[in-house]
Amino acid sequence: MATYRQELKSRFATLGIIVVVVLTALLVRLWTMQVLNGESFAAQAENNRVREISIDAPRGEIYDRNGVALVTNRSALAVCVDPSDDDVRDMIIRAQDSDSANDPTRHETEELFGEFASMVGVTPSDVLTAISDVSQEALRPRVVAIDVPGDVVAQLLERQTDFPWVVVEETSVREYPYGSLGAHVIGYTGAISEAEYEQSDEYAGYELGDIVGKTGAERQFEGVLQGDKGWRRIEVNASGKSQGVVSEQEPRAGNDIQLTLDIEAQRVAEEQLADAIAEARRQGYASAKAGAAVVVDITTGEVIAMASAPSYDPSAFLGGISTAEWASLTAKESEYPLNNRAIMAAYPPASTFKVVTAIAGLEAGITTENTTYTCTGRWTDMGTQWPKWCWKRAGGHGTLSLRSGMKNSCDTVFYEIGYEFYKRKLEELQAQSRAFGLGSETGIDLPGEVDGRVPDAAWKKAFNENYPEYQMWLPGDTVNMAIGQGDMLATPLQMACLYAGIANDGTVMKPYVLKSVLDSEGQPTRTTQPSVLHDTTVSDASLAVITRALIDVTEEGTGAGAFAGFRVNVAGKTGTAEVKGKDDYAWFCAYAPANEPRYAVAVIVEQGGHGGSVTGPAARNILAQLLGEPLKTIRTTDQSR
Amino acid sequence: MIRKSRSRRFLDAVNVPLVLWSLALIGYGTIMVASATSGMSGGSGMLLRHAVGIGVGLVPLALAWAFDYTRLRGWQGPLIALAAFLLISPRIPGLGYEAGGATSWLSVFGVRLFQPSEPAKLIFIVVVASVISSFKGRIDEPRDALKVMAYLSGAVGLILLQPDLGTGLVFVAITFIMLIAGGMKGRYFLVMLLVAAVGLVGIVAVDSSLDKLFDRDVALKEYQLNRLLVFIDPARDPDDAGYNLAQSKIAIGSGGLAGKGLGSGTQSNLHFIPERHTDFIFSVLGEELGFLGAVTLLGLYLALLITALAIATSSRDLYGALIAAGVLGMWLFQILENIGMTVGMMPITGIPLPFMSFGSSAMVTNLGAIGLLLSVWSRRYGT
Repeated sequence: MATYRQELKSRFATLGIIVVVVLTALLVRLWTMQVLNGESFAAQAENNRVREISIDAPRGEIYDRNGVALVTNRSALAVCVDPSDDDVRDMIIRAQDSDSANDPTRHETEELFGEFASMVGVTPSDVLTAISDVSQEALRPRVVAIDVPGDVVAQLLERQTDFPWVVVEETSVREYPYGSLGAHVIGYTGAISEAEYEQSDEYAGYELGDIVGKTGAERQFEGVLQGDKGWRRIEVNASGKSQGVVSEQEPRAGNDIQLTLDIEAQRVAEEQLADAIAEARRQGYASAKAGAAVVVDITTGEVIAMASAPSYDPSAFLGGISTAEWASLTAKESEYPLNNRAIMAAYPPASTFKVVTAIAGLEAGITTENTTYTCTGRWTDMGTQWPKWCWKRAGGHGTLSLRSGMKNSCDTVFYEIGYEFYKRKLEELQAQSRAFGLGSETGIDLPGEVDGRVPDAAWKKAFNENYPEYQMWLPGDTVNMAIGQGDMLATPLQMACLYAGIANDGTVMKPYVLKSVLDSEGQPTRTTQPSVLHDTTVSDASLAVITRALIDVTEEGTGAGAFAGFRVNVAGKTGTAEVKGKDDYAWFCAYAPANEPRYAVAVIVEQGGHGGSVTGPAARNILAQLLGEPLKTIRTTDQSR
Repeated sequence: MIRKSRSRRFLDAVNVPLVLWSLALIGYGTIMVASATSGMSGGSGMLLRHAVGIGVGLVPLALAWAFDYTRLRGWQGPLIALAAFLLISPRIPGLGYEAGGATSWLSVFGVRLFQPSEPAKLIFIVVVASVISSFKGRIDEPRDALKVMAYLSGAVGLILLQPDLGTGLVFVAITFIMLIAGGMKGRYFLVMLLVAAVGLVGIVAVDSSLDKLFDRDVALKEYQLNRLLVFIDPARDPDDAGYNLAQSKIAIGSGGLAGKGLGSGTQSNLHFIPERHTDFIFSVLGEELGFLGAVTLLGLYLALLITALAIATSSRDLYGALIAAGVLGMWLFQILENIGMTVGMMPITGIPLPFMSFGSSAMVTNLGAIGLLLSVWSRRYGT
């Protein structure tokens, strides 16, 4: 007994050592965690318990050049569903589950959301879609409906026990005091797409679900209009349920902007465009549905009005656009109302292009103001097997000068000039076109602009890469181009800028729509300075000839009917573009006052017939509005091209 | 016969340090349970249940103290039968109660009574002490070692039926400590450690292949395996086992030196920590009372364990010494495992922290263990 008692002592000493080692190990571990790394764990604990929810900043407002509000914000009540409610959470988790067998059934959705959905005017499945949107921040209440009537909101709040997950939030939405007026320039807003989010600057701090500008100025000046988000730190428990607000930071609204648009001129431009379309249809052009009108300030490049038809109501996008509405806005049958045809569509400029042919001819010395031409209606200089026709086929215009050729829009005169250019092989007509900015984007501060086309030998070869037989530049190509047909394409804005350049002694100003960015006091912090887009070398003499010829057009020529009785001199040109398989497109381009030019205007109606009778009257009334002349309904005829 | 003074006789019967340390621990535990349950629904009811557990525990304490432990040697057969019954009972239809994936509770008519594996630990200690003491302080024959292993395997096998991995490990730890006290040779010990390690890996391997074969959890549940594996690779199951561990570490670590104050533990009170009043009570303590609170607890445990060791040393026979060593082994392992898991040193298994965790079965068992120690102490001079 004594021996193992001795042994016991050493064994118990071993046990004592084990006890001390175990407790020391724990002690060291705790020292490391609590004393050495305590701060980092404390920071983790803080993060763990506080979640941040961002608060959207109101977007900057948009004003016209005179300070008239075009886009403002108003507060609206948004009925939301709180994702942290247990029942809702369960639905969200199941709806987002990859295993579709676990999806909430129609019956379950109806049971939970049915009554609520019918109260706010949506379907239970709309509610399920809204709450299971994975792109939304986990704790952000899911917006189900905006602008719910006050009595419905009151009922919802009274019945909080029935709908514990309903949250009513005040939100800020766009308001359009002038409805759809200026919609194409202003643009619309919508939830940021995944692609936009991926491409956005991370410092811009976008989150999925944010409202951003989608088109127009809303998109172009997104960085200015979008404010700085605020945040709300919410204490949450382990299951993510909110326990209250810890702190919050108010959002900072975006900057307001002032556009160069004059809302009254814009209104007239849109009305006149619509009237022109209606007039075209009255004249039998049943396919006339779309068009554009644009007015620029000749000396600055400011866009005073920019209309595109058909148009749309930007308020349709508030709180998310329905699939059906979106489908109708993007359908071919509706003529793509979202497109801003003033910059996004390029058309053959037809006779409105004859000014370029004339200028190029004068500059090249192949014509003068009084050079005479003979028009028989049929032109066969390229060979009798390649006859070309003047629009006045029967008998032609007889003998006429360049100036009267312009006045009467005689094609033969410009065929002759074009053919001369072809023979010189110097592509001077193309060069002059480009000198005035055709064939390239104007660089206007709006998204989506296209560049149009100035065809030349190199272009034709490349364009017909796979069709060697069509690659050669032929005499007819230059001849067609001389009357603005063939492969020539220009946007209405480019044409307005061309006429503005002629009026502005050959200097084309860069068009723009952002007049200035305003600070919180409404004072301009940044104002766009006018800049020269193209400075041509066209002589004053040549420009004077053109101006005289264009005045003839509105006083005695193809545009005379439209401008009858107009007290201000207008330099303008009609155009009737032939588009294969379609009715003719009606053009009218002008600047006024002719002797002291201020505004240049371009109007087009797709498949609208003749410029003199359809778009000419529209241009007249737009200029009348800008120059303080009375507006008049004009019915006239024009058979020119 | 010398008449002893009153105080002398009292000290013969009562080990004052043991009573003091255990009272201090029970008090400390009650405070922590109160803090941990304060924000819970029915929190005050839980504190009452905790107090009831302490009160009920006084019964086995008194019984074990009054009973001469040496007479337990004659009850070996019935004790083994009782322990076996206790360990099997949850699996008997109508008696088991499933909670948290394991059927480790005993219930009658659907009323949850207690976790039979808790008192089974004490019976196991008494039975194995009797077996080892029969080797007279030397375990140098393989046969003797195998005999002990047979008892252990039987017990662990029955526990894994429930399955309750943590409690199984407690039985292993108890056995190892008692073998050290009982004179097992060093090299045997190494062999056994090796066998245990291989056995553990083997169990996991066989279990997972059986699971695959039968396409269901045969013995260990998947979450139990995950708990073990998450200890090696915390990213394995961050939502569940890994989540608990991460939250627990954040809570304890953020407690810093002095803690956030009782009732002010943001992690625990914000419900980040699951089972915070039972298995994870130390996370609450670490967060609210910081390193100082943790050191105080470890100090109390050190005192308690050294006292138990002193009682073992004072025992008049090897049997009593082994019982005391078994109790020490039980407490030491549970302290290591419970605190260790909350700080990421040990795998996560559901084992209560002695005297601290909420839970009547464990409290009653621990008070019964105190009773056993007092019984050994009060009979150290023989009769």
